[in-house]
Amino acid sequence: MGQGNVYLPIFFLGLLAFGFAVFSVAAASFTGPKRYNRAKVDAYECGIQPAQAQLGGGRFPVKYYITAMLFIIFDIEIVFLYPWAVSFDALGLFGLIEMIIFILTVLVAYAFVWRRGGLEWD
Amino acid sequence: MKVSVEYQALAPIIILLASGVLSVLVEAFIPRTLRRPIQLMLVLASIVLAFAYVVINATAELAGDPLVNGGQVKGLRELAASGSIAIDGPGMVIQGIILLISFVAALLLAERQIDPQGDAFASRSSTLPGSEDERQFTAQGWLQTEIWPLYLFCVGGLLLFPVSNDFLTMFVALEVFSLPLYLIASMARRRRLLSQEAALKYFILGAFSSAFFLFGAALIYAATSSVNFSTVAVAMENSSQDGLIIPGIGMIAVGLLFKVGAVPFHQWVPDVYQGSPTPLTAFMSAATKVAAFGALLRVFYVAFGGMRWDWRPMMWVVAVLSMVIGSLLAVTQTDMKRMLAFSSVAHTGFILLGVISTSAAGLSSTLFYLLAYGFTSVGVFAIVGLVRDASGEATHLSQWAGLGKKSPWIATIFALFLLALAGIPLTSGFTGKFAVFTAAIDGGATPLVIVAVVASAVAAFFYARVIVLMFFTEPPVDGPSVVVPSALTTVAIGTSAAFTVLLGIAPQPVLDLVINAGLFIR
Amino acid sequence: MFHSQAQGDLGIFGNDPAAVIAVKVLGIFVIMVLMTLLTIWAERRVVGRMQMRIGPNRVGPFGLLQSLMDGIKLALKEEIIPKGAHLAVYVIAPVIAATTAFLTFAVIPLGPQVSIFGTVTPLQLTDFPVSVLYVLAIASVGIYGIVLAGWSSGSIYPLLGGLRSSAQMISYEIAMGLSFVAVFLYAQSMSTSQIVAAQEPMWYIVLLLPSFIIYTTAMVGETNRAPFDLPEAEGELVGGFHTEYSSLKFALFFLAEYVNMVTVSALATTLFLGGWRAPWPISLWDQANVGWWPMLWFFGKVFAFIFVFIWLRGTLPRLRYDQFMKFGWKVLIPVSIVWILIVSVARYLRNEGGLESRNLLFAASAVLVVVVLVSYTLDLRRKKSDEAEEQRIAIEAEQEFDPFAGGFPVPPMPGQVAQPSRRMKATISSGAPASHTPAETTEGN
Repeated sequence: MGQGNVYLPIFFLGLLAFGFAVFSVAAASFTGPKRYNRAKVDAYECGIQPAQAQLGGGRFPVKYYITAMLFIIFDIEIVFLYPWAVSFDALGLFGLIEMIIFILTVLVAYAFVWRRGGLEWD
Repeated sequence: MKVSVEYQALAPIIILLASGVLSVLVEAFIPRTLRRPIQLMLVLASIVLAFAYVVINATAELAGDPLVNGGQVKGLRELAASGSIAIDGPGMVIQGIILLISFVAALLLAERQIDPQGDAFASRSSTLPGSEDERQFTAQGWLQTEIWPLYLFCVGGLLLFPVSNDFLTMFVALEVFSLPLYLIASMARRRRLLSQEAALKYFILGAFSSAFFLFGAALIYAATSSVNFSTVAVAMENSSQDGLIIPGIGMIAVGLLFKVGAVPFHQWVPDVYQGSPTPLTAFMSAATKVAAFGALLRVFYVAFGGMRWDWRPMMWVVAVLSMVIGSLLAVTQTDMKRMLAFSSVAHTGFILLGVISTSAAGLSSTLFYLLAYGFTSVGVFAIVGLVRDASGEATHLSQWAGLGKKSPWIATIFALFLLALAGIPLTSGFTGKFAVFTAAIDGGATPLVIVAVVASAVAAFFYARVIVLMFFTEPPVDGPSVVVPSALTTVAIGTSAAFTVLLGIAPQPVLDLVINAGLFIR
Repeated sequence: MFHSQAQGDLGIFGNDPAAVIAVKVLGIFVIMVLMTLLTIWAERRVVGRMQMRIGPNRVGPFGLLQSLMDGIKLALKEEIIPKGAHLAVYVIAPVIAATTAFLTFAVIPLGPQVSIFGTVTPLQLTDFPVSVLYVLAIASVGIYGIVLAGWSSGSIYPLLGGLRSSAQMISYEIAMGLSFVAVFLYAQSMSTSQIVAAQEPMWYIVLLLPSFIIYTTAMVGETNRAPFDLPEAEGELVGGFHTEYSSLKFALFFLAEYVNMVTVSALATTLFLGGWRAPWPISLWDQANVGWWPMLWFFGKVFAFIFVFIWLRGTLPRLRYDQFMKFGWKVLIPVSIVWILIVSVARYLRNEGGLESRNLLFAASAVLVVVVLVSYTLDLRRKKSDEAEEQRIAIEAEQEFDPFAGGFPVPPMPGQVAQPSRRMKATISSGAPASHTPAETTEGN
């Protein structure tokens, strides 16, 4: 038996979920009361005068960028690992050795980052 | 599923990349004080070993009939790694040239006596220029040893670039050698803002040109459903999809011509050559150009060889523009490094003459020119790094006045290099130009050669101007002086000078070598 | 050849008539919403019991309708949009978060083939050869909802919360992704139904215990739940990325969080606990894995996970952010990678030598656990000596406590000794009596 369109049900589920979410967001402006107050629409602050934040907050710690870059390295490693794992039996010894070499190469980068303090959050 | 890897043929590339990985480990686990000597040993040893493997591969007995092998009698000639890498005569010659230049350039990068503060690189590239941190690290004598793993990866990528036999491998190689260059370019110890600006320009333009290359490869793939050069060449013969192929060729040409620095894709050259640490400029102007021309030759001889009537007009325009604009703009420069950068653009035009010939003679003359130009270029920038005043390198032309009276030796060698760049007989530059021009005339590009000769005459003017400035003017009172370098730079300059002279006086053995290298494997 | 191992047949998917698709889609949606309401209720009741309280018990039997009432109450609240917000992104962020949360459940197998309206169809919306990858992909898109919510609020707390949240989720996504590799190695497939089928002889929790532990840890981090709920650390960040959200938009984030909780539990059940297969004593009954019964086992397992989620929240204090990142990057990732190497070698030995590598795997798991424990104790000891060192430095610093170091006077830290007041010194040196006013005392101390 051949496969029909397996992605179609996902589309319908997505449509339903999206519709529900949009409905909720839209409904909120009708169901709730509206009482304007200048202080209410200010950015949240615990007691002190809220400073108008730049959109996007201006500058934030560079650590997040490093985390993002490290994530990309490892995510790509994972992307390579998946097809290898699924066809592992078919690839045999060649696949095993090549992947060990690949993982070791990534581990070298990992060791470097670790030693240089790229994984510290201080 | 049968996958094989030809370890013997790929040994030079594998050695360089593996030592790059090893070198990262050294950075991670060896104490700071020991890092520099270990890294230096690792770099030099791996380059020597890789060169030995290139020689072994190039002199290996070839199985099979010489006639079948394109008249080649010796040397490896095989498609490696499932056809994505082609190890053949010209490829190995280019690899050999790259390794020789990399060895000499590594000596320059390691030089520590020229600058009283250390080597040519920032004590720590993560510090802000002019900050308190920077001053502290400099005072403590920190050295940036991360350049060495980057350098090894870069050389590994350069070795792979000219022997890649499909567009994807070539793109990967392009990135592998480009990214380290962008990084090292930003690490100059002096004038760091200039250096960082240069690196950013290089990076953005380089990324842009990589995108062009990749898009071109996609178009070619769309037309021929292959990225492999041999398959593409066959498929193009029978394809009617010029609407995809011609733009594809054009875009790939943009990507490669950017790397060699041909007009109109040359804008990065002066800024990057000027801003980068001078030893890196030496390496970049020589090795990158050699590798990029190797790749250009392979792409346009193997993959697009059958389409030469379509791409030749474009190459003609690029070659003429490079020669004319490079020479003319060089005349107007007042900064030594910028002048040499424009001269490098002009030389790109000359070398393109060999590419345009699309003949065996064109190929071999281009290889010879690359060897000759590469060493002259390394030597010239090595000497630029020696002439200094209190603030660092003295690169303004006026500061070079009267240098021949203060330091006759260095000035003489510099004059020798300049004469070679100008193409005066008895220097390597003359032999190279002669070979390329002859090949171009045989290939039917006589008008181009006439332009080239005129451009050479213009170029000779500004080289001669520097020589006159050095020997026939009085030195300024507070002018710069020539620093006495350590053995590393001395060896580098000596080697470059020796090659420049030898290739001018007795070029025949090397000419035989490049002619015997044969053709690209298909 | 490639799928020689996979027992399930993917051909049964994608052939449903429209009515069945509609029933399944609606069914999944309703189940998810009900599960959310139930989970919130369960959480409040269970945590209440754990804290010696009763928890909500007023609305409906046992307070079961409490969460529904809360939802209605939220809908009737005023919607506040802060004036610094980027309106379009601000509105779209909760939609992204909620939509993606529902989508991931599409590929979870709830049971074997059953008959709906006379059509024989699997109890699963759909499945394809890369369905676990699909779950990861949709989960990654879900992070956008959180990041954009933080970014678009035009306020500092949400921004930091959103950033933290994304950094946390991508860090733990690596560990999560790595823990799947061993499962794929053994199932030789990325399709959820085939992975369930491949677990017929033995659940992967037994065979691949370290993977299971890594996954369950990572899934708590992925869903921002205690003890990894740093993005919502009230003490530091108010409410994290949804500080500026109110009314139903806030409810959508709340919903998304609980739906995600259910989804990761369902995924854990599918990948490691044999999916809808009945656990041991029940599985002796030959009707246990047929018809609609498996759905019961499946949701039983999912609720077990949800109970653990709640238990964790009732028990463990929140981690510090640096500890949390350190745990993810320096423990989970290297352990996962080493474990993948071990599993692949064991699998290779099994394939080639016909060697029964199961015992090898068990031994390796034990060794791995021991290594992790030993390195943990070593780390603890080192930390202790570090702390002792810090204390020593602090004691040294005590001698020279300068209340004016920061430009204006500060009281001494515990253990530090304040210098006597300058004015006091002046009075002493001028020969005045030692008695002084209370004001002077406070200044000195």
